[in-house]
Amino acid sequence: MIRTRLERIHKERRCTFLGVGPMSKNCVDSVLELANEHRVPIMLIASRRQIEMEDFGGGYVNGWSTERFAQYVIERDKRGMVVLARDHGGPWQNTFEVEQQLSFRTAMESAKKSYEADIRAGFEIIHIDPSIDIFGVPTTAEVLDRVFELYEFCYETAAKYRKNIRIEVGTEEQESGTQDLQVFRDVLVRLYQYCDRKKLPRPLFVVAQTGTKVMEDRNVGTFDSPLRLPEQLPVEIQLPRTLAVCGEFDVWLKEHNTDYLSDEALSWHPKLGIHAANVAPEFGLVESRSFVRTARDMGCNDLAEAFLKISYENKKWKKWMLEDTKATQEDKAIIGGHYVFNDARFIEVKNQLAKKLSSKNLDLDEVLKSDVKKSIARYLKLFNLVGPSI
Amino acid sequence: MKSVATIILNRNLPKVTENLYERLQASDGDVSDLYVVESGSAKENLSKYSSYWANWPEALETGLRYPRGFNYGLSELLKEGKFANYEYYFLVCNDCVFPDGPVVGTLLDEMKKHPRLGVLSPCGENWGERQLFGDKSIKYFWHINHLAWLMRRSFIDQVRAKEKPDHMNFLYDGNNFRGYESDVEVIVKGYANDFAAGITNRLLVREDDELLKSRHKEMKTDDYESNRLSLLQEGREWLRSKYGFNSRWTMQMYAKFFYDKYFEFYPEEQPFKI
Repeated sequence: MIRTRLERIHKERRCTFLGVGPMSKNCVDSVLELANEHRVPIMLIASRRQIEMEDFGGGYVNGWSTERFAQYVIERDKRGMVVLARDHGGPWQNTFEVEQQLSFRTAMESAKKSYEADIRAGFEIIHIDPSIDIFGVPTTAEVLDRVFELYEFCYETAAKYRKNIRIEVGTEEQESGTQDLQVFRDVLVRLYQYCDRKKLPRPLFVVAQTGTKVMEDRNVGTFDSPLRLPEQLPVEIQLPRTLAVCGEFDVWLKEHNTDYLSDEALSWHPKLGIHAANVAPEFGLVESRSFVRTARDMGCNDLAEAFLKISYENKKWKKWMLEDTKATQEDKAIIGGHYVFNDARFIEVKNQLAKKLSSKNLDLDEVLKSDVKKSIARYLKLFNLVGPSI
Repeated sequence: MKSVATIILNRNLPKVTENLYERLQASDGDVSDLYVVESGSAKENLSKYSSYWANWPEALETGLRYPRGFNYGLSELLKEGKFANYEYYFLVCNDCVFPDGPVVGTLLDEMKKHPRLGVLSPCGENWGERQLFGDKSIKYFWHINHLAWLMRRSFIDQVRAKEKPDHMNFLYDGNNFRGYESDVEVIVKGYANDFAAGITNRLLVREDDELLKSRHKEMKTDDYESNRLSLLQEGREWLRSKYGFNSRWTMQMYAKFFYDKYFEFYPEEQPFKI
């Protein structure tokens, strides 16, 4: 179903489909509005940290569980344009599985429960990513065995609940590194053999290294680098080769970590034949910046500072920092801002600012959403999903 | 008669150039004559091996950079009637560092095995391309940075300026001063004229960035960062004005088009395709 629908659109226009991380309620609303206003499919790609099943305590985005998130989207998606997608499902992809040092078998069972909740709730694209192992680096064979187990489980579950799903497979952690095409090809061969043997549909998407890597508030991969980076294969060489392999296997390439790429780089995505691309933290950062700017514009520096303090002290920005970072304390707070959108202290700060704006007949969430929508719209235009006049 | 002419570019770093000259003379003097092009060096900074001195005011002021520098060397050899004496040209910047052992000889040995090869480059020590060779010692590419290229004269002859060849037009388009994407343009001309461009992993090269970073004043050139910015800006303007390309990607895909066509015409070369 989903593949047929995307293929039809892809045949009509050479485009790159967009996956948006649900960084906040405003971000989700922005996707719902843009997708429905422009009748364009947009994938909402939820990581397990962002959106998780009720039994596991939900995710950090708006306190949503998988079930409530899916219900929220499905009810508001008037034209059925938004595709619910699980991003990086698999063992140890949720914080508690890591913190509790779950064993392999327990983590796999935990991942399966999460997948079951996804499928039951109406997620249509399921990313199977067993590349994380907290007890050591798994071999390609081990990763593939885990893929097969989860792949079969997802299709059995979909059959049980009479749902249509398609699978996205990624077997390496996303870095800016060079794709070993022989390994990539071998993985696809084994995956296809497995699917054919089990009479399961082949994957819709595969994830491969495409020279993108997000750090701080920029993309530090080779994709946007006009000059050679040490030890990296120039993306001009790497990407066409990777796409050629995808073509051989008739599978679509999904790029991860597409955030912050330049207009020039994005505009080449459809031309090069990249089928889909995920963007997430950029939209959280846009909303954080928008909040701080709005607060300051309203003369509420104390509220801006309060937000920045909560975020800075939360330290979630740490994982995004470059080793030789020149980021200021404020930069760091902005980079990690979206992690505290559901923090009670921030909600209090936000309510105060909203009250201030409403006295001037302005709606804070509309202001924030407007900025997030502009940011998402840049991708829709450059990916040739909508006309230039958006 | 030696079959190779090596042209080394110097810009105010005589000692660096002389070290490279002597290193190549010792390792490859039996197969190559060496020439040093003074790419706008000041008089007091000429190498003792200096062959040709670009000393007109603009050259002294801004240097020649690799496109005009190699053009100048080649056009001077042509003027002196020596150009046709050599079957191959090794065009090398003075900031190139090679491991011990033969340089030109190694490239020449590989070049001779591949009669359709117009350009052969050693592989950069830190280039990701090193991962692509498999069991081959050479692979063909559409994108190779010019640090040290061995070029077949018959290829240069095919694509060089025939009317009034000089430092602006002999091989490279001198209008693209710093040469961003100029190397790709020459490679495109190669594939369009049935000459391939390859990298071999039998020889490694390292570009000594530290020279530009720490000695740019001595070289009378821009600092590393300014040079980088100007390289990109000028290159983009050149791509737009000459080709109407607004993106380096267009140039790359243009090059890849000719690359792929080449293998359609010469399917026997497929093993060297990346």
